[in-house]
Amino acid sequence: MTPRLLFVSVLCCAMLIGCGKRSADKDAMAETAVVAISGDADNLNPVVANTTVASDIGSGVYPMMFDVVFDLREGKLKFGPGLVTSWEFANEGKDVILRIRKDVRWEDGMPVTTEDIKFSYELYGDPDVASPRRNYVESMMFTDGKFDIDKSVTIVDDTTMVFHFVKTYPLQLFHLNLSPIPKHVYHNADRRTLRTNPANERAVGAGPFRLEEWVRQQQITLIRNGKAALPYPAKLERVVFRVISEPTTRLTELKKGTVDLMRPVYPEDVKEIQEKNPDIKLITLPPRNYDYIGWMNIDIEAYHSKKVIKPHPLFGDRRVRQALTYGIDRRSILREKLQSYGELAVTDFSPIFRWAINKTLVPYPYDPEKARQLLRLAGWSDSNGDGILDKGGRNFEFTLYYNAGNKRREYVATVVQDNLKQLGIRCKIQAVENIVLYQNIDEKKYDAFIDGFSVGLAIDPSDRWGDVMNPFNTVGFQNGRIAELLKLGLHVQNERDAGPFWMEIQSILHQEQPVTFMYWVKEIVGVNRRLKNTNINTLGITDRMWDWTIGDPNSAMTQ
Amino acid sequence: MFRYIVRRVMSAVPLLFGLLTFTFFIIRLAPGDPTAMYIRGDVDPHYAEQLRATLGLNDPLPVQYVKWLRGVMSGELGTSFSLNDEVVDILARTIPNTMMLTFFALVLNFGIGIVLGVVSALRRGRTVDHLLNVVALFLYSIPEFWLGLMLILGVSLNLDLLPASGIHSPLAQFLSTWEYLWDLIQHMVLPVFVLGVASAAATGRYMRGSLLEVIQQDYIRTARAKGLSEFVVIGKHALRNAMIPIITLFGLSLPFLLGGAVIVETVFSWPGMGKLTVDAIFARDYPVIIACTLVSGVMVIMGNLVADILYAFVDPRIRYG
Repeated sequence: MTPRLLFVSVLCCAMLIGCGKRSADKDAMAETAVVAISGDADNLNPVVANTTVASDIGSGVYPMMFDVVFDLREGKLKFGPGLVTSWEFANEGKDVILRIRKDVRWEDGMPVTTEDIKFSYELYGDPDVASPRRNYVESMMFTDGKFDIDKSVTIVDDTTMVFHFVKTYPLQLFHLNLSPIPKHVYHNADRRTLRTNPANERAVGAGPFRLEEWVRQQQITLIRNGKAALPYPAKLERVVFRVISEPTTRLTELKKGTVDLMRPVYPEDVKEIQEKNPDIKLITLPPRNYDYIGWMNIDIEAYHSKKVIKPHPLFGDRRVRQALTYGIDRRSILREKLQSYGELAVTDFSPIFRWAINKTLVPYPYDPEKARQLLRLAGWSDSNGDGILDKGGRNFEFTLYYNAGNKRREYVATVVQDNLKQLGIRCKIQAVENIVLYQNIDEKKYDAFIDGFSVGLAIDPSDRWGDVMNPFNTVGFQNGRIAELLKLGLHVQNERDAGPFWMEIQSILHQEQPVTFMYWVKEIVGVNRRLKNTNINTLGITDRMWDWTIGDPNSAMTQ
Repeated sequence: MFRYIVRRVMSAVPLLFGLLTFTFFIIRLAPGDPTAMYIRGDVDPHYAEQLRATLGLNDPLPVQYVKWLRGVMSGELGTSFSLNDEVVDILARTIPNTMMLTFFALVLNFGIGIVLGVVSALRRGRTVDHLLNVVALFLYSIPEFWLGLMLILGVSLNLDLLPASGIHSPLAQFLSTWEYLWDLIQHMVLPVFVLGVASAAATGRYMRGSLLEVIQQDYIRTARAKGLSEFVVIGKHALRNAMIPIITLFGLSLPFLLGGAVIVETVFSWPGMGKLTVDAIFARDYPVIIACTLVSGVMVIMGNLVADILYAFVDPRIRYG
């Protein structure tokens, strides 16, 4: 028997069986949405969870302090009542008084109280826990350098509490929106091993869904929480999050109709889906991720050996960085790789923050002649006629690092190499493993690299452009005026009052070009039309997942 | 024989210990930090620093080694950095998934491979032989990921005959026992086929070469001269000797039973050891890497031992004291 014959036989058997009656799961599927995810959740305890999937699941399982909406027209977050029914500012805005609902209960029947919220914030702020959101408490009260929960939170009674901040700033409510966990479940938990606490597997929440099953590395199943009061029990019986790591397989499952929702769909697949799969709706998310080319602003040798900050011999001069941006054909990269699913970046202030965007700034055009002129002004010329620019005996050559396996960045690297060659700059390109790239970027070990960044839902440029030692300030950029503007912008109570400061920061970034801001990426999400009432937006793909329903694919879809 | 097996197993213990110690140091010397993956996006910029302290990664290397050694001595393999779960539990979940896939793939590999090799050798130089050679070379040269994706697109998407990925359908818990089993089999067909068929082509080539060599021996001519039927000559006399290289191949394939197959597991979203190992390496998840090395090491040693024992069964000249 040849392999082919054997294969056909096996197929025939499978077909016969496959045609058999399987009504039970078909009925259940009529009340179930399937979401494809590229990797499993790292944790289902929101205090230590650090993946988007965990956050998506957490939003359905745990009670949310506020009902948050991102208003795209205004470009800002709006807070409505959630677990918190009302809030008011006191003590010149440094205190926030919260009143919470009395009727919300954890799955095990215990009421959700202010004690749970205080306890959760204690965990978020404890360095032993190592929460990825510890920075949310950094403007609360500290004693001897340690987060002081008793000074930061005063409990008035089971439903009233006061948060004390050291200052008033626009992100106060945003920082009060962390999901609480039940104190009675975790009160004896060892802080250092909280991330492996067995209670995390059960994920005791109080949201519209509860965790039915977590089969690690395979799927996470949420089931309607019939007792939910916040906001109400989910309309759909189940939501299954299936781990499918291979993008082509994930897309195939979406096309087959065995998956209802997946991200990301790549721009190159869009045309075929639009032509052949009328059951799939493609939704474009507003841009929150951008790619950039990092040019190290400081001399990394001096920085690492003597902790001395001095300009980088190649990229320390602003005119050189401007020349590099002029000399890279970003528009052709955009056209080739993202088509209409991207836009040229001016700075790292996302276009979603409409009110804060400095509209007087325009992206640098591709202008090699201007680039040559700026390089000449900065003292770079080909004095020995070898085709490579030089200055003070040093050739203009460097290595550009990017993450191996990222096709888009690989393309960017080759275009950059070619573009810079025309300017007389020798750029070697080198792909490295993700984890090595990130470590070396964070430790400021590369002269030049291609990286990406994801911006939060509220404006806070302090990590990126503030302290030169901050790991997020990947190119060691520092600017006195920006430092002043950051202080001003982060100390207003009304977010909009910070607008002029943010606009001035953008002007400086545009002028200084600490990095070459490449393009914003508009992620594409694929949704089967049978899934109704989805609310896919800036906040994520599972926002208000409790309103999802399953219906006729041909009827109108609510978005 | 029993004493031989005990001696072999005992000698494997220091070998395994050495392997694990070597792995412990080599992965820590490799560039890349387990916490580097987490300093992205909307997180505390000092998160990685705190995480390193919590995971004990700031301790000097000898201290980390002593802690790890103490754990291993008491039967603990530690906790995964990236999966936040006990490594023992991860292995307990993953090994059965892998064994399910690789066992049937091995059966397919050796079952089809041996039959193809024998047919090809017995019909040497004829059309069937040429045809099988071409088919074998064709299958052997197809990359696994490509074959996997093509089968997903053809058999699963276009013909809608089999599921494209995973071990079970999303709501398999609602199926009856038989339906559940069939659901599993349906999910296994494509990955097992992809894994088994390419290897079967190689096994077939080994089998053909080995059998051709054996049937030219004098004792086969003698067996034929004695008037034995062709079935007995080939089945009893030739095949037994021709199986020796196949047993070596089988012994070498045993680690694959638990080692898994990363490409097929990735393409078909099969949560097995291969993908676990590679993901752990990319995430620098030290405890999982060491545990996977332990499993692979044990399987390599066991595979060689099983092969040596099988030699004694097929070759009467080999005896172990």
